[in-house]
Amino acid sequence: MSLRVDLLEGGRIALRTLGVNRLRTLLTLTAVGIGVATLLAIVGIIQGLNGAFARQLASLGTASLNISRRPYVMTGDWWRYRNRKQLTIAQMQGLLQQSQLATAVVPEVNEDGRELTVGDESVSGVDLIGTLADFQKVWGYEVPVGRFLTDADSDAERQVAVLGSEVAERLFPGRSALGESVRLDNRPYRVIGVLGKKGQILGQSMDLLVLIPFKTFLAVYGKRDFQIDVAVDDADQLDKLEDEVVGIMRRLRSVPPGSADDFSVNRTEQLADTYRQLTSALYGVAVGVGLITLLVGGIGIMNIMLVSVRERTREIGIRRALGARRRTIVVQFLFEASLISAVGGAIGTALGLGVAKVVSLVTSLAAAVQPLTVLGGILFAATVGLIFGIWPAARAARLDPVEALRYE
Amino acid sequence: MLIKLEDIRRYYTVGTEVVHALNGVSFEVSRGEWVAIIGQSGSGKSTLMNVIGCLDTPTAGRYWLNGKDVSNMSDNELADIRNREIGFIFQTFQLLPRDTALGNVELPLIYRGLRAKERRERARHALDQVGLSNRVTHRPNELSGGQRQRVAIARALVTEPSLLLADEPTGNLDSATGLEIIGLFEQLHRQGHTICLVTHEPTLAARCPRAIRISDGLIVKDGPGPQVALENRTERARAAAT
Ligand SMILES: Nc1ncnc2c1ncn2[C@@H]1O[C@H](COP(=O)(O)OP(=O)(O)O)[C@@H](O)[C@H]1O
Ligand SMILES: [Mg+2]
Repeated sequence: MSLRVDLLEGGRIALRTLGVNRLRTLLTLTAVGIGVATLLAIVGIIQGLNGAFARQLASLGTASLNISRRPYVMTGDWWRYRNRKQLTIAQMQGLLQQSQLATAVVPEVNEDGRELTVGDESVSGVDLIGTLADFQKVWGYEVPVGRFLTDADSDAERQVAVLGSEVAERLFPGRSALGESVRLDNRPYRVIGVLGKKGQILGQSMDLLVLIPFKTFLAVYGKRDFQIDVAVDDADQLDKLEDEVVGIMRRLRSVPPGSADDFSVNRTEQLADTYRQLTSALYGVAVGVGLITLLVGGIGIMNIMLVSVRERTREIGIRRALGARRRTIVVQFLFEASLISAVGGAIGTALGLGVAKVVSLVTSLAAAVQPLTVLGGILFAATVGLIFGIWPAARAARLDPVEALRYE
Repeated sequence: MLIKLEDIRRYYTVGTEVVHALNGVSFEVSRGEWVAIIGQSGSGKSTLMNVIGCLDTPTAGRYWLNGKDVSNMSDNELADIRNREIGFIFQTFQLLPRDTALGNVELPLIYRGLRAKERRERARHALDQVGLSNRVTHRPNELSGGQRQRVAIARALVTEPSLLLADEPTGNLDSATGLEIIGLFEQLHRQGHTICLVTHEPTLAARCPRAIRISDGLIVKDGPGPQVALENRTERARAAAT
């Protein structure tokens, strides 16, 4: 007899048994369903997190490179990076002249954790950036209020500032910041513009920043260690741009052929990698929890299948007497176990999606479940059923036909 | 020769004790024969039927069915033999309670791999043969004992087996219904079926052309039904009168 027949008959019996033993089916469904739901909700939330992160990274401007002495993500000996020569204005200008692909080249110099005050109001933990007009283009900032920095602001070392939206909201709640004066490290700056909102990445506000003209920054802070941001039209051209930029920079910095770059070219994607490493640990723990729940569900299935085999001992005897092979019996019970689990998995999937949805409504996390995950959830549940059905099915097949027929 | 048994033994080990359910049984049955097997309870009748039906494998001895040596067949081969060559009828009917009469009769054909349409046709025909063409969609609990046994007989017939084996098929039926069932076997015998039928009722066995009496796992008598089944002349005379 063919496996096709075994499968068809197994499926038919399994379908009918589901309908017959409703309470038992329901209990099993619940057990597996909760496991799958847990797993899916977690996966959904994390996928949502990832999606949001990716979108936010994109909003940061992915069609740009950052050239710096240090990589975004430092590995190993940070002394190596400290000892590198600083970037120079001349190198920046060289880049601007020689690059064919770059649509903008702009310097950027940073100080972290500044405090801004207006009268009694103050905001701390603000990123201070000194830069030029093209910074807006490179990072895709909107300026809904006022204007952005100009290169003239920088050349004249004007004491002007463009505020991140959160800084503006907190310093000037309910009123316009435009034209007002803010204090930063004991110097007054006139607000000439407010940036559009970018939101959060990993719970960190992207709007807690203040921009001042590049040369103003250098004059006030005396710091010369700046970075260069280079933009390109299309993110697809980033690889080419990187090749070109590396070539130009090596020449400008006289790096001998064969030796390593003495600068780093960074992309926001690198942040994404770090993020992924970070979340994969979380992922692991969460999936572990879901798996344990599924294990409990699986043991439930095994138990129920064992009871089912015992209850249907005579039926097994009858089938064997009429010509069913051992394999036929095995397939029948495996089919039943995986079908119950698959239905449980489907219900659990719906439940899990629901939970993920609720989480995304209640919190700011956007939970998203990819279609493949849904299919995966159901198949996974079916596999759990299959695995935990093996032992009961084997027991059913091992029964002696004569004894099975005599079973009361 | 349809079946040939040679010194068949079946021992059961219960704890430290060995039960000799069959203790060296040899006999032959030709195609078209109707043989009654009688004997006291515990004498080994069911064990013998299970061995003949390939449900059980003997501890020792050889068994040929249709010229094939069954003694050393694999589990799968035995399953196929049961499916193709044997039609088993049990005292307790052994129907699947959730299936209809038709579904029960179809079952062996499913295991043979027939398509649904042919299965249904043949199952209907078999139910027709046992006079149940108007009970096709009934479930076992909606049928009387006699009707259930007829469904079981239809299930045995549907595969057109070489051999019908019935282990006390009237044991759970009242005597009138039992007689009806025996009548059905008589009819099947006339149609050319080979039948081995276990019964503990001498009057029923006496209606068979041949009977085998076993006792303690051994054949003690093998001959014409009335002679083997009935102990004395008066019983035989009374049976002849009915
Ligand atoms: N599975 C078994 N285990 C142990 N002893 C058994 C088993 N099956 C049958 N026997 C024993 O074998 C003998 C024959 O049994 P059986 O063939 O059922 O007798 P009958 O059908 O003639 O009443 C009995 O003594 C019975 O107790
Ligand atoms: Mg018996």
